Amino acid sequence: MLLEIKNVHKVYKGKVKANDDISLSIAEGEVFGLLGPNGAGKTTLVNQIIGLTIPTSGSITLNGVDVVANPGYARESCSFQSQTQVPISGLNTLQAIELVGRIRGGSKADVRRRAMELIDKLEMGEWQKTMGITISGGVRRLVAFCMAAVEPGKIVILDEPTNDIDPLRRRILWQEVQELAKRGSAVLLVTHNVLEAERVVDRLAIIDQGKVMGMGTTSSLKEDDGDTMHLELILEPSQAEPTLPDFLQNPVIVNRRIVALVNPADITTAIDWARGLKESDAIEEFSLGPTTLEDIYIRLVQNPDEGEQPGEVM
Amino acid sequence: MPKWLRGYLLMVKWVFLSYRAWLSLNFAVQIGIAVGFIFGISFLYPAITPDIAKYLTTGAPTLILLIVGFVVGPQIIASARLEGTFDYIWSLPVGRMSHLAADATVMFGSTLPGIILAVGLGAIHFDFSLDISPLVIPAVILIGAGGTFLGYSIAFLVPKPMMVMVITQIFSFVVMLFSPVMFPVERLPGWLQSIHEVLPIQYMADLTRGTITDLDVNLGLAFIVVGAWCIVGFIVTLIVVNRRQ
Repeated sequence: MLLEIKNVHKVYKGKVKANDDISLSIAEGEVFGLLGPNGAGKTTLVNQIIGLTIPTSGSITLNGVDVVANPGYARESCSFQSQTQVPISGLNTLQAIELVGRIRGGSKADVRRRAMELIDKLEMGEWQKTMGITISGGVRRLVAFCMAAVEPGKIVILDEPTNDIDPLRRRILWQEVQELAKRGSAVLLVTHNVLEAERVVDRLAIIDQGKVMGMGTTSSLKEDDGDTMHLELILEPSQAEPTLPDFLQNPVIVNRRIVALVNPADITTAIDWARGLKESDAIEEFSLGPTTLEDIYIRLVQNPDEGEQPGEVM
Repeated sequence: MPKWLRGYLLMVKWVFLSYRAWLSLNFAVQIGIAVGFIFGISFLYPAITPDIAKYLTTGAPTLILLIVGFVVGPQIIASARLEGTFDYIWSLPVGRMSHLAADATVMFGSTLPGIILAVGLGAIHFDFSLDISPLVIPAVILIGAGGTFLGYSIAFLVPKPMMVMVITQIFSFVVMLFSPVMFPVERLPGWLQSIHEVLPIQYMADLTRGTITDLDVNLGLAFIVVGAWCIVGFIVTLIVVNRRQ
């Protein structure tokens, strides 16, 4: 495995436990998702991988090298898209991408070629000569992605890469993420956008309150839910949320969207209930389908007792 | 080319491009301050003699370098800390000190036109002669580096970036009014003179005076004291910058 994280604990001053016995590993050419809610400890873990902070205990090795003791090696090996905005206000898009490519050791010609390739693929040509201070947050995020991808390291770490980005370019960006993995880099994708991550990652870990709640491929995580189905309802605007029956498991209401799990034995009852809501114009629409990664995520994050730390590093 | 040098030069380019707009404005302000300083002295001292003018004019380079090192530099660091940009910059394969050195290079580079203009204009306007020694180059580098290292140490040691802004304002006040840069140390009360025997500020002023004029200063002592403070500042900066939580 390229990256090995073993039993990492991180406790900040004031006894804030940000990472609690985290173990995971990532192979070359793999897209690994690190999913979790805000404040779960994802960015803390990333900061330890790239040597910005050091673990309270545990080990992190990259290609067999202890990056806690050798932060310089971590910086050489990891290209990083930060969650915070990159300091490119005074640079134009092309300058920013090329400078990072050159700093990461690329030759002038190779970096120019790759920068232009990324700009073309992500359809950013119109901003190629635009100063960072005048471009929108979404375009800045795209530029930051290109800065991480122009001369990729052994590991490419992307912290919430698609925030503020329009849907079409998001799709292209995800293709580029997979392209990076095909070229041999391991990609560590940090996000709380579960729906998008499901389509891209080879394996993932869900973390909450600093602990790994579940880890594996999307399919292996879904296996735990057996034949349980995913029910989704969209409320009519301005309609109050209906009383939720007991057969709905782990219901979550976000704005007008209600998501819940339904046991196979309750499926008919659930459909009848949803149809009734539709006929009374309480909801706009509903759908029933196989469980999604989002269901697993919600279950593990809402019911932390169900989560289990894998016994061995995968 | 060694990796560290390549990284440093690329970071200089990054910093220069980033500050480009500010640098143009700073250049204009520096020129304005230099011209204003020279003509302003005449209002402060209507009966100014060439000797007094020489003393005041040759204090200007130290004052400018100290203000940039103690005030402007730490304030830039404080804003970068507030914006969280170090998380990104320090993830790049460039040493943290190389990045700070690049920052300091651009900042000090931007002060040189103002310094040269102030001294040159002062010599012409007040009719005193300059006696420029090659030692002026290491002297200016030493003052700039010493001021920057001390400024950066403060910028990283003070836990709250907003506090850095306040502290640097106090520093600028102390340097302007209570440090023997623009007046001889003998005018200060005894206890403050004792403090300034240890601090590098009066020796920094001696360094510029001793290398651009024929004024009688102990240049050797000035190099030693400022050099020692520079080493201390470098070590402290190295430690605080490379600290990891």
